[in-house]
Amino acid sequence: MTLRTDHIAGGVFVALGLAVLALSGDLPVGTLSFPGAGMMPKLVAGLMILFGLLLIVRAGESAPLASLPWGDLTHAARIVAITAVAIALYQPLGFVVTMVLLLFTLTFGAERRPLFAAAAFSVGVVALTYLLFAVVLKTPLEPGILGF
Amino acid sequence: MGTVESLLLGFSVALQPDVLWYAFLGCLVGTIVGVLPGIGPLSGISILLPATFGLDTTKSVVMLAGIYYGSQYGGSTTSILMRIPGEAASVMTCIDGYAMAQKGRAGAALCIAAVGSWVAGTFGVIMLTLIAPPLATFALRFGPPEYTALLMLGLVFLAYMSSTSLPRTLLMACFGLLLGTIGIDNMTGHFRYSFDIPELGDGIGIVPVAVGLFGLGEILSTPAANMIRKVIAPKLRQLLPSRQEWRESVMPIARGSLLGFLVGLTPGSAHIISSFLSYGLERRLSKHPEQFGKGAVAGVAGPESANNAASTGAFVPMLALGLPTGPITAVLIAALMIHGVPPGPTLVNEHPNVFWGFVASMYVGNLMLLALNLPLVGIFVNVLRIPYAYLYPLVIMFCIVGVYEVNHSIVDVWIMLIMGVVGYGLRKFGLDPAPLVLGLVIAPTFEMSLRQSLIMSNGNWTIFVQRPIAAVLIAVCALLLALAALSVIRARKDWRSKLAEAESGEGS
Repeated sequence: MTLRTDHIAGGVFVALGLAVLALSGDLPVGTLSFPGAGMMPKLVAGLMILFGLLLIVRAGESAPLASLPWGDLTHAARIVAITAVAIALYQPLGFVVTMVLLLFTLTFGAERRPLFAAAAFSVGVVALTYLLFAVVLKTPLEPGILGF
Repeated sequence: MGTVESLLLGFSVALQPDVLWYAFLGCLVGTIVGVLPGIGPLSGISILLPATFGLDTTKSVVMLAGIYYGSQYGGSTTSILMRIPGEAASVMTCIDGYAMAQKGRAGAALCIAAVGSWVAGTFGVIMLTLIAPPLATFALRFGPPEYTALLMLGLVFLAYMSSTSLPRTLLMACFGLLLGTIGIDNMTGHFRYSFDIPELGDGIGIVPVAVGLFGLGEILSTPAANMIRKVIAPKLRQLLPSRQEWRESVMPIARGSLLGFLVGLTPGSAHIISSFLSYGLERRLSKHPEQFGKGAVAGVAGPESANNAASTGAFVPMLALGLPTGPITAVLIAALMIHGVPPGPTLVNEHPNVFWGFVASMYVGNLMLLALNLPLVGIFVNVLRIPYAYLYPLVIMFCIVGVYEVNHSIVDVWIMLIMGVVGYGLRKFGLDPAPLVLGLVIAPTFEMSLRQSLIMSNGNWTIFVQRPIAAVLIAVCALLLALAALSVIRARKDWRSKLAEAESGEGS
């Protein structure tokens, strides 16, 4: 049997539905005349399992898993990793430092743009954005260690 | 107060210099958002939402709505000049718009798209003016069973209209509904799936999910190296279409306006669906269907009019019923709520300045967009010269700042990142993220009205068929499900399958 994209997609959602049901153990379903906090999540998880199974049953209509292009995965993973670091640093370092580092890492590190162009772009854009939000729109941005 | 008097009140608000300024700002930002590939109207609105906190309600909603309908105008520019849809609703414009540009008719295509958008946008606002107030009055009769049935119909209709299969759409809607149950249960106070994270007690916000799925998710799916930037820049004197081209565009604009407005009233990504439907309709009605794909004027005029009329149509259920028909109207509802103005049947009477000021600003906004999009097209084209390698880091920065500023919550930003990865995965496996957002948006209202209905009826499910309005809505649900099942049983390709083929084939 050829493994197809809908086998995987359906399987993931069936597993997710089962996980939700397992996590909902202590949520009361209640009665029909007074439904509890667990009624809606369990009902929806059940439906999700049903639609996931339908996807698996009709997976023959979908593309073979082997045909999925994964050429963009490395680039995507790199962006996710850099963004995750930026999010982790956002509150401690603040907007200005974090965003200069984020833009510089993405343009110079990930996209291999010239060093000076990447540096000028990162500093310039962050300065303009800071002015736009903090001065023009009067929306204070996260200050961080530099105090602004 | 009659419609004319109310509209005059609206113009007295909309023509105030500061409101005009924010309408202009919204239209300008919307056009740029529409022009830039990878930033949709949803990302644009979400990112700028925090910037409206210091404004009054009317200015906020006028600016944010300007971004929405402005992006529909701007989206056509990249489609025609680069064959890259600035946003999803402009996919169909790529086909014949770019073909016209290659034949040296880029200016004419841009002009037809702009005029069609203006006509459709204005038509949509006129219809909104006429329909929304009586609909709001009618909606005052709605109780929990009617709202439950209406929301259920919304989900079923979305699934039926979707170009992907019914189970796929409903699966995504269920995923969204499930995410919507995270947080404190309003009726009993139980914590649900919050895993001792206090920020999750309030539930998952629309903005981090929407920005993650549509902003970051789009970037992750777009490898920078593959972005080819070949721009055909038209000269100003080439902007006027020939007499023949005007003739060929009149009826498609009229049909697109009507079709777009009607589709816009329904849940889902109406502005996207309407452009696909309009393209299909024009090709079917054309005496020369073989010209489609090779620069048919109707292939530009119809879809561009339809997506603009649909974006206006979507405001009718939003303003009159308080119901979002998609993620964009959901974020606009969130903007109104932040300012303490709940949209819905009471909006027209309790906040006439906001309602009519907003409606009147759309008349003005559509005129501004026409003025912006034709003479200034050369400037907007220059925006496209920003290399993607510099553009997407900028978008990521705005995604982080935009999401963080809504609640000053870093958890929201982590949710955005997770949803970006989820969005990437969903795209890979051919699952549309739009129903997920809709499910998330309607989840609290749907759950509350369902449970209230059951409490009202003492656990009797027949309450949904005993009340006339709810019964009609449930009957329409059943009919749509039966029609969908019938097409599966007959294994026959209907218009939705053909739409999906067009979407995956020609649109790419």
